Amino acid sequence: MNSFIAFIMGPMVWISAIIFLGGLLFKFIGIIQSVRSKEPYVFSYLTVKHSLRSIGAWLIPFFPKSTRLSPVYYGISYVFHIFLFVIPLFLASHIVLFNEAFQISWPALNDGVADWLSLAVIAALVFFAIRRQMVPEVKYLTSGSDYLLIFLVALPFITGYLAYHQWFAYRWMVVAHVLSGELMLIMIPFSRFSHMLTAPLTRAYMGSEFGNVRHARDW
Amino acid sequence: MQSQDNTMTDPSNETKQAEKAKQKATDPAIEAGLERLTPERIKKTINQVLEKETGPRFKAYVETCMRCGLCAEACSYFLSNDRDPRFMPAAKVKNTIWEMLVKKGEVSRDFLREAVRISHLECNVCKRCAMYCPFGIDIAYMMLLVRRICHKLEITPQYIQDTVNSHSVTLNQMWVKDDEWIDTLQWQEEDAREEFEDLQIPLDKMGADIMYSVIAPEPKFQAGLIYQTAAMMHAAGIDWTMPSTPGWDNSNMAMYTGDNEISGRIAKAFFETAAKLRVKRIVMGECGHAFRSVYDMGNRWNSWVMPPFEVVHALAFYHELLTEGRITIAEKYKKKVTLHDPCNVSRGRGLHDKAREVVNMVCEDFVDMVPNREHNFCCGAGGGVINCGPPYKGERMVNNRNKAEQLAATGAEVLIAPCHNCHSGLEDIIQHYDLKMEIKFLGDLMYETMEKKIYKPGA
Amino acid sequence: MRKSFITGIALVLVLAAGWTAFSGQDSQYLERLDNWAFESPRRPGAVFSHDDHIMDLDDDCSICHHVYEDGKLVPGESSEDYYCSDCHGLKPAPDNSMPLEAAYHKLCRDCHFDEGQGPVLCGECHIKE
Ligand code: HEM
Ligand code: SF4
Ligand code: SF4
Ligand code: SF4
Repeated sequence: MNSFIAFIMGPMVWISAIIFLGGLLFKFIGIIQSVRSKEPYVFSYLTVKHSLRSIGAWLIPFFPKSTRLSPVYYGISYVFHIFLFVIPLFLASHIVLFNEAFQISWPALNDGVADWLSLAVIAALVFFAIRRQMVPEVKYLTSGSDYLLIFLVALPFITGYLAYHQWFAYRWMVVAHVLSGELMLIMIPFSRFSHMLTAPLTRAYMGSEFGNVRHARDW
Repeated sequence: MQSQDNTMTDPSNETKQAEKAKQKATDPAIEAGLERLTPERIKKTINQVLEKETGPRFKAYVETCMRCGLCAEACSYFLSNDRDPRFMPAAKVKNTIWEMLVKKGEVSRDFLREAVRISHLECNVCKRCAMYCPFGIDIAYMMLLVRRICHKLEITPQYIQDTVNSHSVTLNQMWVKDDEWIDTLQWQEEDAREEFEDLQIPLDKMGADIMYSVIAPEPKFQAGLIYQTAAMMHAAGIDWTMPSTPGWDNSNMAMYTGDNEISGRIAKAFFETAAKLRVKRIVMGECGHAFRSVYDMGNRWNSWVMPPFEVVHALAFYHELLTEGRITIAEKYKKKVTLHDPCNVSRGRGLHDKAREVVNMVCEDFVDMVPNREHNFCCGAGGGVINCGPPYKGERMVNNRNKAEQLAATGAEVLIAPCHNCHSGLEDIIQHYDLKMEIKFLGDLMYETMEKKIYKPGA
Repeated sequence: MRKSFITGIALVLVLAAGWTAFSGQDSQYLERLDNWAFESPRRPGAVFSHDDHIMDLDDDCSICHHVYEDGKLVPGESSEDYYCSDCHGLKPAPDNSMPLEAAYHKLCRDCHFDEGQGPVLCGECHIKE
């Protein structure tokens, strides 16, 4: 058992990190190359200024009109996305492991705070799932894969939360936590989670079309 | 953004009637086209378009959409149909191109009948949703892809296909004959001379500052608009010309049927006409889609990043005339006016602020619609929808309820619609919903209020 | 779809809980280490059985109570008369390459990994009070 744990907390972390980052990089290069060969016009319209203008506008909470029309969903989603990155990156237990492997450390979240934030993320995901049932236009678009994605993100948070509290089956909970976290990382380049990479790209293009050609705002 | 406090009631329960009409509305061109299709051809055509005519952009849109539903609020069709999910932008993609992708092109005739309807009649390709999707996913682009597939399968609705046929044969949209065109211009010149002696509509004047161009419906049945422009050109002392040869029409319905080859030909002929006349820039009448064709789309098909000529929409031109003092307003227009922002020149070219300045210079009492500027609602006629013709008028009116509510909320007496398509569509809305409103082009008001100077060279 | 997920997780949890309940590896000599040397410990002190370790390590105290000189292990020397914190400072520094927390973690966990037995996860030692 210990050697299995050593594997999933050692080499497997490397493997998933490489698949995650390498996959995104590979995907990015693929997109750029295919734009070059099939749709070079994209570069004719893309401008740094208008791309950043649009991305920036959409990063300011409740600035785009669309976000004000669905404030609850948007607000929750905004917070969810921030915590999604903040919690794993600033969790004391993660930093300790990182420190022991690479002798690099940075300030950590207070454990109690991180605990509540994780609960908030889980609550947000539950909200997403319920919203998919309740809001007719969202329900119409929803298919099994959408729940699967929600579940995939929820799993590391749920198991992490339970493991931290050591309520039951601690060892298994940590194993499940580590594996589901790695699974999520691995899935990012190969699922719609890759919107992490494509969101800035599609936004940049639309922002450039609007700013550069249409002389209009796109938020 | 539904204005609950002001919900329009459809006169005489026409929603249901239209619902029935919708089921019945059969289009002979679509039906005959569907008859001719074989599964092999359907599959081959769809895959050809999806594989060969799209690239990473389409792929990114398909892979990125999180089915979050935020684009729903953008679409007039969704809002006009009591938030029926089928009309939300992403649903239109789901019901057309996603399905084609999943089934690898193996879709049925019934599916295609729906795809024609969704892409041609239930989307104005107004791109409002691109501003409401957090990823900036361009649904209109994908609806145009569906139309492209329909075009290649020859199942485009009859009326709009006829305009494309006309473009193909005559290079104008309305089967206007070459001599008919010149006759119309001369007739307008003659009429105008009674008001302004020496007024000219100069034909084919080489090296003029401006080539003025219009869409084919103007000579066909709105020749008075040419008269008004000639009056303005004259009073302002502009060095201008109009082409006598095909290429004078800047409209482009092929752009909306996915007939990119003809669309490109039209735009090319247009720019070549301007090039032959060696004019400095092109001014065009109050039309939205025509502007889109020569400012945004036609040039691209011909591999020009931006149009080879400066293309000035009437709105911007009026602004120039007024701010440079070339035209002065004798007496401002009194009635309470409101302004419809045509998508293709506001969201499409950011002219909304200039438009407001012009309206305020020309009119005394201006009230804005909500929402406005880039966020305006499409008239519901654009993107080729009205051009699909009378068979679909009933359902178009149902789909435009949202716009009717927006108009009614302004309480204005006069609606300014500086776009031909919008104009016709809004006129239908005003009639159908019995709104007590007059509708005018901005040029109508310019002409009505301006100082009718007689221009003397050198004076 | 969702239902089967939920039943799935529930099943896994029940099985896992059962497994831990019956696989008791608890020693009767467990005590909680005193963590006074840490200024503001995030976790409760680790639980540990000194007696078990003495037995398992055949009375070789120097395996844990080691002595390092110039970064090198001095074989045979042992340091059981010192506190760990006498050598291992709290904060990393040029003359403190192995801060106290890391020293504990590495000493215990690395050995448990090498030996293939013993706790290796945070909560297996820092059991909630
Ligand atoms: C860092 C870049 C990212 C950006 C800019 C981004 C942006 C977005 C946007 C705009 C949406 C749709 C609308 C909304 O919820 O506001 C969305 C939805 C979503 N994102 Fe992200 N995202 C990012 C990273 C991630 C990552 C790394 C994950 C998970 C691994 C993720 C999981 C989700 C999920 C599950 C939804 C759907 C929520 C629902 O079901 O409604 N996102 N994201
Ligand atoms: S382009 Fe306009 S009409 Fe078409 S789906 Fe988007 S908002 Fe609706
Ligand atoms: S707003 Fe964008 S991401 Fe969300 S459903 Fe609509 S198209 Fe998809
Ligand atoms: S007809 Fe007018 S409002 Fe409508 S799409 Fe064209 S420009 Fe837009």
